[in-house]
Amino acid sequence: MATVLAPEIPAPGFSFENCQRNAFLAQKGFPAPRATKTGTTIVGIIYADGVILGADTRATEGPVVSDKNCEKIHYLAANMYCCGAGTAADTEMTTQSVASQLELQRLHLGRAIPVATASTILQRTLFRYQGHIGAALVLGGVDRTGPHIYCIYPHGSVDKLPYATMGSGSLAAMAVFEAGWKANMSEEEGKKLVRDAIAAGIFNDLGSGSNVDICVIPTTGPAKYLRTYEEANVKGKKQGNYRYPIGTTAVLRQRVIPLEVESVTVTPTQPMEVEPSSSRR
Amino acid sequence: MAASVVNAYSDPSTSWMNAPHSTGTSIMACEFDGGVVIGADSRTTTGVYIANRVTDKLTRITEHIYCCRSGSAADTQAIADIVTYHLNFHKMELGEAPLVESAAAIFRELCYNYRDSLMAGILVAGWDKHKGGQIYSVPIGGMVQRQQVSIGGSGSSYVYGYVDANFKPKMSKAEAMKFVTNTLTLAMLRDGSSGGVVRLGVITEAGVERSVILGDQLPKFYED
Amino acid sequence: MLNVEGNFPEYAVPGAVQHRFEPYADNGGSVVAIAGDDYAVIGADTRLSTGYSIYTREQKKLFQLGARTVLGATGCWCDTLTLTRLLTARLQMYQHEHNKPMSTPAVAQMLSTMMYYKRFFPYYVSNVLAGLDAEGKGCVYSYDPIGHCERSNYRAGGSAGAQLQPLLDNQIGLKNMQNVEKVPFPKEKALALIKDVFISAAERDIYTGDSIYMLIITADGIQEEKFELRKD
Repeated sequence: MATVLAPEIPAPGFSFENCQRNAFLAQKGFPAPRATKTGTTIVGIIYADGVILGADTRATEGPVVSDKNCEKIHYLAANMYCCGAGTAADTEMTTQSVASQLELQRLHLGRAIPVATASTILQRTLFRYQGHIGAALVLGGVDRTGPHIYCIYPHGSVDKLPYATMGSGSLAAMAVFEAGWKANMSEEEGKKLVRDAIAAGIFNDLGSGSNVDICVIPTTGPAKYLRTYEEANVKGKKQGNYRYPIGTTAVLRQRVIPLEVESVTVTPTQPMEVEPSSSRR
Repeated sequence: MAASVVNAYSDPSTSWMNAPHSTGTSIMACEFDGGVVIGADSRTTTGVYIANRVTDKLTRITEHIYCCRSGSAADTQAIADIVTYHLNFHKMELGEAPLVESAAAIFRELCYNYRDSLMAGILVAGWDKHKGGQIYSVPIGGMVQRQQVSIGGSGSSYVYGYVDANFKPKMSKAEAMKFVTNTLTLAMLRDGSSGGVVRLGVITEAGVERSVILGDQLPKFYED
Repeated sequence: MLNVEGNFPEYAVPGAVQHRFEPYADNGGSVVAIAGDDYAVIGADTRLSTGYSIYTREQKKLFQLGARTVLGATGCWCDTLTLTRLLTARLQMYQHEHNKPMSTPAVAQMLSTMMYYKRFFPYYVSNVLAGLDAEGKGCVYSYDPIGHCERSNYRAGGSAGAQLQPLLDNQIGLKNMQNVEKVPFPKEKALALIKDVFISAAERDIYTGDSIYMLIITADGIQEEKFELRKD
């Protein structure tokens, strides 16, 4: 029995209980709120020794930039990362859900999970929701069969490619890939190409902007998540001084609550043991 | 009207998110003496953008049964996945390779039951020991029909005449491959949403034999 | 629901197709003007865009209409071009008829009349007019698309207008402040403020960026200045 103190755990999956009400409200001229869409440039390539993923860091709500430095490369597993474009909440929650399914499967089977598994889970999830989950993804990873890049669309179709781009900046980025991608590039060449592709999106697509994030997943050794690989755009330097002198802000009301000290206790504490934490990724 | 055309290309909401990923396609399957030849172009489009220029629209269902997909990429991939599952199960229960007819029946069942929400035109082709090489066409709506030669996708309307004029029953393997290649090349030349390379598959008792004909190796026809 | 016409155009059958007439485009851009006792400065960004793509990074959106009059116009760029072409023609006719140039307040009034003339098929333009009036004092006029005109000392318009105006209200209009003395706003400070508000606008408005083109109008003439903004 649910009480206020211990509310019942909600049923898994989405709740549709407000659908009818919201449809009614929309009909009365009260439209549903708009979701944050990430007009985005995300890319992935295969290079000689693994895959490289890249993303810009701008999130938009219509013409307004809502986040200047957001993370679009999501963790799926130690050997897999996934770039997300489209509805921000959908990419975030979908990749989180898949990450936990993959981890459970890894613990169950006791071995690294192939990239194809993640691709299939994502494909089936997105197909089931018929495009209503607006997640456009570039999935990249390595497994015992080698490096893989998958392009997954909101309606649940999948393309397996050696190089892929997604989002509103995908055309600009693909132009760079079509001109510059070669098989068996070195890591440095690959990072340069991914940087150039993302930069093409940042500068030529208004939905993309700010910085370049890169994630290198080699077949040998751990993934390298290079957050802010390059700060493609530096904020301009302000010329004026916008500090307010004291007394500029109006004080509308004042109330003093005296603090009475009833007793003082001193507890000596020891510094907490902190493990040198290895990176989450 | 110019403004509306310009906006169709540049409107951020329509261009890449909302347009479903579809395989405006040219696909074909042709019976020959000893099996079937299947073929497809390699273009996948999202609106006016080519999302994939090396797509493989020939999808494996079992060792001896393949399908050629046209319509929505998401829908046809999902259907092919489900049919693959059913036939694997069927094969385990049966203890032998499933019939092409069985595969076509499952495709038809799904395409018919979900005809309101699917956009899929599929050619099921394969070889079994009862009837040899067979082709079943499962168009939008969920009908099924066995054909000796079948074409599908948006590019097919340009080449019905060519197919009717040039198909002969009991062709050799080489003849059939040439026929499929020519037909698809002609379809790709006329249809804007078909293009790229020609992918082929030859299914016989021995299994499948895949090949690719790159853009610069396609046969030449009158072009001016 | 999927349908053939909307989602799968390659399967559509030729037949009657209905098109909607869409005469307007939004080409973005912002404009800011500040007037002082003996000067007026006006600046506009130089990005011309549509949807998610940039047409050019170096489009000047300021139009010199007279020796001491400058118009900043953003919005539908083709309307801007048409409007300014008509404006210059009318100014020339005035010059020929009266043998003297039009004063800034007169230009302001004429612009309002020309905009209202198109009341039911308006110019989709956000106008800010800056200059010196007959006494040599700085003045700024702002408009809505159908000709409402208002004189003020500072104004922001265009795609980031709503983000910029509150800062101008605070810094020049001294709104929401206590114990501050109203002193004349110096030209150098106005110039710096325009640059700073555009830096902020370029951070948050996707249609504002690349650079600012500014004109400084004083009794000595009109000076120009350029300032770089972020390019993403």
